[in-house]
Amino acid sequence: MDFFKKSLDPRIALVVIAFFDIFLFLILGAWTVGGGETMMTGLAAELIIGDQINGIPFWQIVFPPDFGYWKIYISLGMLFGAFVGAKLSNEFFWRFPGSLSEWVMITIGGLMMGIGIRLAFVCNVSTFFGLTPQLNLGGYLSMTGIILGAWVGSHIYKKVLGF
Amino acid sequence: MSVIGEILVAFLFGSIVGLLVQRSRFCNTAALRDAILFKTYRNTEALLLAMMVLTIGFTTFMTFGVGQTMKFDVGLNQVIGLFIFGIGMVLAGACTVSTWVKSGEGNVGAIWALIFTFIGMFLFSLLWSFDYWPPAPIAMTGEPNLETLQLGFANAETLQEKTGIPAIFFGLIQFGVLLFIYLKIQAKKSLKTIGDN
Repeated sequence: MDFFKKSLDPRIALVVIAFFDIFLFLILGAWTVGGGETMMTGLAAELIIGDQINGIPFWQIVFPPDFGYWKIYISLGMLFGAFVGAKLSNEFFWRFPGSLSEWVMITIGGLMMGIGIRLAFVCNVSTFFGLTPQLNLGGYLSMTGIILGAWVGSHIYKKVLGF
Repeated sequence: MSVIGEILVAFLFGSIVGLLVQRSRFCNTAALRDAILFKTYRNTEALLLAMMVLTIGFTTFMTFGVGQTMKFDVGLNQVIGLFIFGIGMVLAGACTVSTWVKSGEGNVGAIWALIFTFIGMFLFSLLWSFDYWPPAPIAMTGEPNLETLQLGFANAETLQEKTGIPAIFFGLIQFGVLLFIYLKIQAKKSLKTIGDN
């Protein structure tokens, strides 16, 4: 099948995703990732520290660990869909960051993403594919933040990689 | 809808997204980073088109009060949180979508980024408190509350309620702005192609 041989125009991919996102909006709510990731964090933390999690108010009040939370399964679906796509197009192989500085940047970047999502109560997906198209004030505030952040990040990236 | 039904719908949606993003190599980080750093717009254009479709789709349904909108108070924490997130995603080379998609392709760096996103979330959860900023339920009244740096809640539906003008009207304005940016990029691109010749 051609679909698994040539790469797809991202404009087509994103417009198709947008239509599915409207369906999801009608049934459950717009596409989001941060909420599901937070719930997974809670479930993982419960597994590791056990009952101690009950001493942390956040996991008692805002995100009580629950396997039935639908947003988790969007993330698992993305993992699955990407795996299938990569396998069928012979693009699946294990790849590792090439240098120590890359490992360090990914570690710091990952931590900042997690902290940022929890401070904002919003991730990049809700910003662009949920809040802003709903004309939610939070979408415009988030876009301001992410564009400024990407600008600063890009200049750090340029410096570290030296081009 | 039952919990199992919700899980199945969410998983199916995620699978379609994962497949399409994997095949198209779309990346939200690249949509911002490449526009800033390299002045290339392959991903930015796709993002703008999706936002145009969504703006019309969401505001049309919101005009009739249909659909599940996101409802929570917003404030300065969105700006600061996404600013931190924006730096992080460029450093990690992946956003929330591409970490999952690249993990599915066997990218260990993306799996590593995910693990540290979870750790970051857990660390922040230790700081969260019920009664003060960063955003806590007690500060969220739906109205601007400057003491707690909260601006309340507003979207196309509240605009419709307050002004009596249908939500789709505001959606069309936003659509126009997004289209304008899209066309600007197109014009810039064709100029570049002529220049390259």
